[in-house]
Amino acid sequence: MTASKGCLKDALQAAVSDYEAPKGYFSKLSKLVSFKTESQLPERTPILYDYVSNAIGPLFEELGYTLEVFENPIKGFGPILLAERNEGASLTVLGYGHGDVIHGQESQWDNNRNPWKLSFEGDKVYGRGTADNKGQHLAHITALKAILNTRGKLGFNHRFIIEMGEENGSRGFRDLIQKKLKKFSADVFFASDGPRTEYNRPNITLGNRGVINFDLICDLRKGGHHSGNWGGLLTNPAIVLANAIASIIDSKGILKIDALIQKNIPKSVINALKGISRDGGPNSPKINKDWGPINRTIIEKVTATNTFEVLSFSSGNALNPVNAVPPKAIAACQLRFVMGTKLKEIIPTFREHLDKNNFDQVDICKPLESNSISFEATRTDPNNPFAQWIQSIVSNSTNSHCGILPNSAGSNMTEVIQYDLKIPIVWLPLSYAGCSQHAPNEHIIKPLMREGIRTVTEIYWHLGEENNNTKDIFTS
Amino acid sequence: MTREATIEHSLSYFDNGHFKKDLSKLVEIPTESQIKKGLEHCLKYLRSSMVPAFESMGFETKIYENPISNAGPILLATRLENPSLPTVLGYGHGDVILGFDESWTKGNGPWKATQVGDLLYGRGTADNKSQHWINISALRSLLSIKGSLGFNAKFIIETSEENGSKGLREVISSNLSAFSADVFIASDGPRVRQDWPTISLGARGAINFDLSCNLREGGHHSGNWGGALPDPGIILSQAISCITTPTGELKIPEWRPQMPSTEVRELLKDIKLDAGKDGPIPDSNWGEPSFSPAENVFAWNSFSVLAMTAGNPQNPINAIAPNSRAHCQLRYIAGTKVDQVLSSLRRHLDEMGFSHVKIEQPPEENQGGFLASRTELSNPWVSIVRQSLKETCGVDPAIIPQMGGSICNDLFTDLLGLPAIWVPHSYSGCSQHAPDEHIILPLSRQALSIMAGLYWDLGKPPV
Repeated sequence: MTASKGCLKDALQAAVSDYEAPKGYFSKLSKLVSFKTESQLPERTPILYDYVSNAIGPLFEELGYTLEVFENPIKGFGPILLAERNEGASLTVLGYGHGDVIHGQESQWDNNRNPWKLSFEGDKVYGRGTADNKGQHLAHITALKAILNTRGKLGFNHRFIIEMGEENGSRGFRDLIQKKLKKFSADVFFASDGPRTEYNRPNITLGNRGVINFDLICDLRKGGHHSGNWGGLLTNPAIVLANAIASIIDSKGILKIDALIQKNIPKSVINALKGISRDGGPNSPKINKDWGPINRTIIEKVTATNTFEVLSFSSGNALNPVNAVPPKAIAACQLRFVMGTKLKEIIPTFREHLDKNNFDQVDICKPLESNSISFEATRTDPNNPFAQWIQSIVSNSTNSHCGILPNSAGSNMTEVIQYDLKIPIVWLPLSYAGCSQHAPNEHIIKPLMREGIRTVTEIYWHLGEENNNTKDIFTS
Repeated sequence: MTREATIEHSLSYFDNGHFKKDLSKLVEIPTESQIKKGLEHCLKYLRSSMVPAFESMGFETKIYENPISNAGPILLATRLENPSLPTVLGYGHGDVILGFDESWTKGNGPWKATQVGDLLYGRGTADNKSQHWINISALRSLLSIKGSLGFNAKFIIETSEENGSKGLREVISSNLSAFSADVFIASDGPRVRQDWPTISLGARGAINFDLSCNLREGGHHSGNWGGALPDPGIILSQAISCITTPTGELKIPEWRPQMPSTEVRELLKDIKLDAGKDGPIPDSNWGEPSFSPAENVFAWNSFSVLAMTAGNPQNPINAIAPNSRAHCQLRYIAGTKVDQVLSSLRRHLDEMGFSHVKIEQPPEENQGGFLASRTELSNPWVSIVRQSLKETCGVDPAIIPQMGGSICNDLFTDLLGLPAIWVPHSYSGCSQHAPDEHIILPLSRQALSIMAGLYWDLGKPPV
């Protein structure tokens, strides 16, 4: 161990040098950011391919990875890259990043910042994708390069996925991997995305809430009818839909459908969450403690509780209301849910509830294509050996206590890792909550990214150390 | 010079195509009183269509400027034959609801009257251009046949009815003697059934208000925040569910009027609402549980959510919406304590824990604000009109204590102190206030005969 510690120091030095070198991390990041990989815009699809072939692919090839580009099984959506380096080791690690970004929102950025060019202002580096996710997967590449330059090998087999449609609901992603399970199989999943829960210390995140969007529609007749002549004669769809929503969730935000309530939070999750505080950054909204189950903490409400939202509601002509009974009411709804609730049971449960409460006039429909999303909930147990192992390395590396977030409040593609590849999930988020991800002025913080690259390097280093029988530890 | 000849004259006006032609000219004028550019057309409607029509019949006309800004002018036409004769006040409104030009599926849009089968499509065909034009034409038939009316006639054409009859109260109050009369007889709204002549003795009132739940400035990602932030769409839905059950039963005690009398229930007993084959079908399970549809609309209060919005319905995103708003309305009958409607709502919302749901002014262009009023069944003028309609049509007319809709009836009953009797010429499937508004032409033809006979009877010397 003594000998390899010196080498770790070299690897860390190499990673930091690369991070700080003029032609290093930021020069590469500036190239990655210049690709307008907005996956929600169909006309950007060629750029999604371009990113894979000309931006990120070459960086992996330089490190001796072989590349395979998979077409998205859904036509018109972005490709999926698998970069692989097989060293014949016993342990195989699966990495992940996404090269697509949310809409650039040009002209909405402060200081005339261009979302497609890096702006260096003090400790902040602005640009679309710096935090989500280009800057984060580039941090992994930087760490891997440092390991290879120091040790000549990784010491484990590595498969790294670059997805190009994450911001568009990861459509086709699960289908593809289900069809090519062998190619993507591994022992553990380790990647970086999203923000850490607290600015001042790292945490690992072990899964995600699930999500499903659907429309509730009460469509009673073709046109509107005079509310004087017909008020009292015709069922008002907005009133019916409001009552239907009121039967689903109460005025304090507590779900009323028993089958959709996760009554007990596992002990290991409660314990892990005790150590996590939620720091939403400077622009975060005021929290109202009276919303949601009263006996739960805020962090339990957003990460360990099923929540129902009315994303939008529409009936009649709200911009120009007239005295007519409207024909139709639509609510775009969403359920975010945690382990224990199964995606495929959600819609039938809502249907059964509506029928039982005499809301057979309310239909459950597919949402608009642009707002269609569904993912299973995932969570690796906080006591999982791989999670514990990573936590201790991160704590050591950063001289702080690394938190464990059993799952994040948001939703993404981890379902495929947990339910198809069936391996433990550990995310090490390298951004922070105030990074304006999904908004103008997205940025990373230089010292934070520097620390992140060091931490990732240290994790990869230990994963590949000889004689550390990590595989046995992780699969025990 | 007979009743029959007068009726004959009015029918030939229809049969020779002139009624349709004249009405079409009225429909062409886009008198949308809720928007600024419609107001010029309202004035034009009075000056170029109504004034010449009345003057050719020996009426004096006066256009009152509306004392309220952005509200249309008011015409009073007067023909005084003899101070000893009774004076009959008529009424109509020349303004219409917004055209919704893009949404029409029948005819040629709102501003070109177009006949399809027996139906004539166009904005204002039903509400109210055909209705006052029928009455004006019947007066003309009577004058043509008899040379005089046999009563004094006054006729109001206002042009802000669809904007809450703004200014009409002020104009009448300031000119009480000019508007004074002995009885009010006019036409608006639908019959209870297209083939059943109807008398309506009042109107429901309408209070419009907004319910608003405004919790914060912008949206927040539902992944990061879902569960931690109150959702205004949910809260407003809950608040609405506390006002009305899923089947439309009112839950606020002050919003529930006195139960209809036995006499009223008797009158309504035979009224089955039928909006025609394209009209909607009344829901038997909507409204007060033990009530028939006719009782719900003609003798009870009803709450409507006219429009509601939260988030961005055109393009929903995964964010908790910052606010929500419902544009609401209570239609209520005379006897409801109108000054308690909003205060009882406030109390009710507070009691239910919805202090963060605010009651706000409705949008300027759709403020409601009609008062409820009613003439009692026992008034002698009711019998005269009832008898006249029975003689012309051969059937006893349906009588409803008040029409479901709201109109400025209280100005005639309360301000001018008149018995007010409405003889509607439309039907409930007419898509009034929606695209594809239309009238049934054979019904208009019968209405011409009804009004010709009625005016004849009003002008008959007492036996």
